Amino acid sequence: MTFLRTCLVVLLLIPAVLDVPARAQQPPPQQQDEFIPIEKLPPQDQLPAAPLLVAAYAFVALALFAYVVSVARRLGNVQQELNRLESELKRSGRT
Amino acid sequence: MPKWFTPAVVICGLMFAVAPVLIAEAPYESTMGLVQKIFYVHLPSAWMFLLAAITCGVASVRYLFGGNPRHDRIAWSAAELAVLFGAITLVTGPLWARKAWGTWWQWDVRLTSSLMGWMVAVAYLLLRKYGGPGSDKLAAGLALFGMANVPFVYISVNFWRTIHPTTNVVPTLPTSFGVPLWFSAVTFLLLFVLLLRMRIRLEEQRSRLDALYLAMDEHR
Amino acid sequence: MFARIVWLVLRKDFTVEVRSLEIAYTTLFFAISCVLVFAFALVQEGRTPEGGAAGILWIAIAFSGTLALGRTFERERQSETLRALLLAPAARPAVYLGKLLGIVGLLLAAEMLLVPLVTLLFQAPLLEHPTWLAVILVAGTIGFAAVGTLFAAMLVRVRSRDVLLPVLLYPITVPVIIAGVRATAALLEPQLDTGIIWFWLALLACFDVVFVTLALWTFEPLMTD
Repeated sequence: MTFLRTCLVVLLLIPAVLDVPARAQQPPPQQQDEFIPIEKLPPQDQLPAAPLLVAAYAFVALALFAYVVSVARRLGNVQQELNRLESELKRSGRT
Repeated sequence: MPKWFTPAVVICGLMFAVAPVLIAEAPYESTMGLVQKIFYVHLPSAWMFLLAAITCGVASVRYLFGGNPRHDRIAWSAAELAVLFGAITLVTGPLWARKAWGTWWQWDVRLTSSLMGWMVAVAYLLLRKYGGPGSDKLAAGLALFGMANVPFVYISVNFWRTIHPTTNVVPTLPTSFGVPLWFSAVTFLLLFVLLLRMRIRLEEQRSRLDALYLAMDEHR
Repeated sequence: MFARIVWLVLRKDFTVEVRSLEIAYTTLFFAISCVLVFAFALVQEGRTPEGGAAGILWIAIAFSGTLALGRTFERERQSETLRALLLAPAARPAVYLGKLLGIVGLLLAAEMLLVPLVTLLFQAPLLEHPTWLAVILVAGTIGFAAVGTLFAAMLVRVRSRDVLLPVLLYPITVPVIIAGVRATAALLEPQLDTGIIWFWLALLACFDVVFVTLALWTFEPLMTD
């Protein structure tokens, strides 16, 4: 079980640390040249980039964290079941 | 778990801690500014999605024609990782696109092909979960077909777009943003290997559990 | 020997079907209902959206096809004939091919009804170039049915087979749908551009060859249980 705890503790650091780019951001340059795909699309100057960036990184962290927790939990359940069965088998099965 | 697992976890955690610093210090891309920094997680996730899909496909073929349950375990674990990294790619992509292209979604060939590949991976998981006994081989067949389908999807979506009056060209991704990208990619790769190993262990334990149940029934 | 088994399976399916015509009638009527739903949903002020007819045709084919596949193998499952087929000393791929041809026949029959219906309801000149249309429909139907027959056979003993069949089938047959719709839409253009049609036909032909081959190859290991 200790390796699972190590995984969880170490990977719990990720959301805390990934806040760094959000806090350390500089304001974007004034006349930002938008990537205009074709002539017809209006330039979207007013759209702030920060919420999108934060949302992206937050989603990544959340998804990875949720998956690790899910696998760890399933593994824990199976391990528990295994231990229970093994002790039961030892007690009754070896006749 | 093998001996390399715990040290690898520590290294991976450290790399994840260092990565944001490198990303924050990377130079601004001239046309897209701040939002382009999503690229440092979007591109490695896309690569891991591709790697997971290929792993699942190859393992499925080996399982289908070889029957070794170990390959089946690898295939199932890889499919889950494909769904995970595919979801990350398909969410971070539109978030970036919203600023860079002005819309959330374009019927871009790469986006659409990735979405279809992701759907096949989700279908694989649904089949494994709700298919009942025997779904291991069936899912392997699905994975094989999914893999064979990739060039067809790519070609058909590509020409489906271009013959139609299109609105967009895929923005050329910057070819070398050097250190932060490769660091991020290696971090994700290490994470992929760790997650895969962990997930395979879950399957191994499940198999042991099934074997134990069978042994118990025999003893009765 | 191989061809004989294919013929026997095909003839068996045809004979059983002709007795009750259950799948034929229900699939055809479903196809009609499908097109009508699209008509009510999409037609505004008596006019269809631009280029809608091709898409509607192929969606109707895809939905009817899924239904027909499900029903065909459900019938096999209920009479346990699939197990009998697999136990017979016949090459498995031949059984698959026989089943595939049966499904293709059924779908082509449905399409013969669908095309005039779509032409009528959506004012689409589908029947202007009948040979082109026939080739496109045959190529697309074979592709769709090739994957569909394998998946439906494979899911026969699976619990949630009714909902899993479309879930598995549609992502894989996306290229067929795209190619079929684009080729049919090119037919509906006032100026016929045969270059585009040849391109999509080539894609469909490759898809058919690759996936029929794959299905023949994997039918044996997938149905062994």
